[in-house]
Amino acid sequence: MAKEKKSEHERRILIVDDDADYLATIGDSFRALSEGRWQMCAAASAEAALKILQTEAIELVVADINMPGQDGIQFIGELHRRHPQIKKVVMTALASEEKNAASRAAGANLFLEKPVSPEGLKSVFEKLCELIDWKNTQGFQGVLRSVGLPDLLQMECVGKNSSILELFHEHPLGRIYIDQGQITHAVCGEIFGERAFQKLFTITGGTFELLDFEVPPERTISRPWEVLLAEALRQREQLAQRAQAGKKILTADETAAAPAGQTAEMLISSGAGEVLYHWQCADAAARVTLLQKIAERAEKLIPELQLGKLDRVEIQLADGRAILQPRADRLVFVRVAAPTEKNES
Amino acid sequence: MKADFKNWFAALPAIPGMLACGVRQPNGKCLGYGDDKIYPAEKIEKLLKQFSELHEPLAAAEFSPRWTTWAFEYGHIRFVPRADKWLLLLIVSPETEAARELDRVANDFLPPTK
Repeated sequence: MAKEKKSEHERRILIVDDDADYLATIGDSFRALSEGRWQMCAAASAEAALKILQTEAIELVVADINMPGQDGIQFIGELHRRHPQIKKVVMTALASEEKNAASRAAGANLFLEKPVSPEGLKSVFEKLCELIDWKNTQGFQGVLRSVGLPDLLQMECVGKNSSILELFHEHPLGRIYIDQGQITHAVCGEIFGERAFQKLFTITGGTFELLDFEVPPERTISRPWEVLLAEALRQREQLAQRAQAGKKILTADETAAAPAGQTAEMLISSGAGEVLYHWQCADAAARVTLLQKIAERAEKLIPELQLGKLDRVEIQLADGRAILQPRADRLVFVRVAAPTEKNES
Repeated sequence: MKADFKNWFAALPAIPGMLACGVRQPNGKCLGYGDDKIYPAEKIEKLLKQFSELHEPLAAAEFSPRWTTWAFEYGHIRFVPRADKWLLLLIVSPETEAARELDRVANDFLPPTK
């Protein structure tokens, strides 16, 4: 039994650095700090690392930036494309905001400065532990720590890409087919079409993977992806509120069966302010003007804040919540009323 | 500023993932904690003003938000205005203890609802 318990917690970590002394030091240190639970693998170059990744089940890769041949950021980018499920960290002695941004853009989950003291080493180890144990319970864990399922869907659709999004929760749950930027088919068990899409979208605590596109067996979805996504976000928001209010976690079947009915308002506009879709907006044009004003003001703050792109604005209201997603080509706004006593029961 | 509030506010930077926090009193005086290089006190003060301005159109519309959260790629900003003109601004790293604590902190700051 004891042996089984130990193997449950064993982690395989790959450190990529062209400095042999550093590799040895950090390998020994992490092994000691993890009390032997981390199996350390080492590679002196990106090429050597990719070979190791073909044969070893690595959970976390920590790469230096400055290496001969392919540098660390290029390597992380390639790793991100080939093995999106592996957690990735860039660690450098010469940290800067530019390198941080480039590493994040390449797919790194964390950007860290190389430790120069035992305390620093311990702090880095703790951050890596947190990352390795991290599970996204709010939504599906994606190719980037900071990217959720809606973001990935939007990226694929706006980029007019063709791909298949496969979703897992211990075992495969279903697939969403994207053909040249349009969601054309979804399957979840025995369910197809929009119902399957909505069901997949509302399940929490799973993972997803982007696969090469294949023509779906049939086309079951025809409505624009913006509308599907807005409705899915609305439903997810409602379910989150219901789960919070009811203090219970909904299962996949419960989420699919959960009734809608708390959406107060929904709006999608083009980047130019044209209303593409709205539901229950008393004055959609005025609402777009207001949202554009907020998005424009926020956009001006972005360079100063140095926190990257604005993903969304969440507004906590006295009687519910609202989410605004400003994008260059569109604005999505969903307002959800707080569940009533009757709805909660 | 009461001692209880000062103690409560001074404890916020210790929450793992808290990058900066600031509060503005009705008389315009600000108090801020953050990394001296990235978030010096002057910057926190400026951000309080900027997010107050960002909040205005929403407050002017029929929304009357209790708070707003601005989710950027590498950080989330929670802005909490009070009816008595006190303002709170929190900057946190996503998916950290501080991010998970945002609602609790905001609710602590706001007066209890009737």
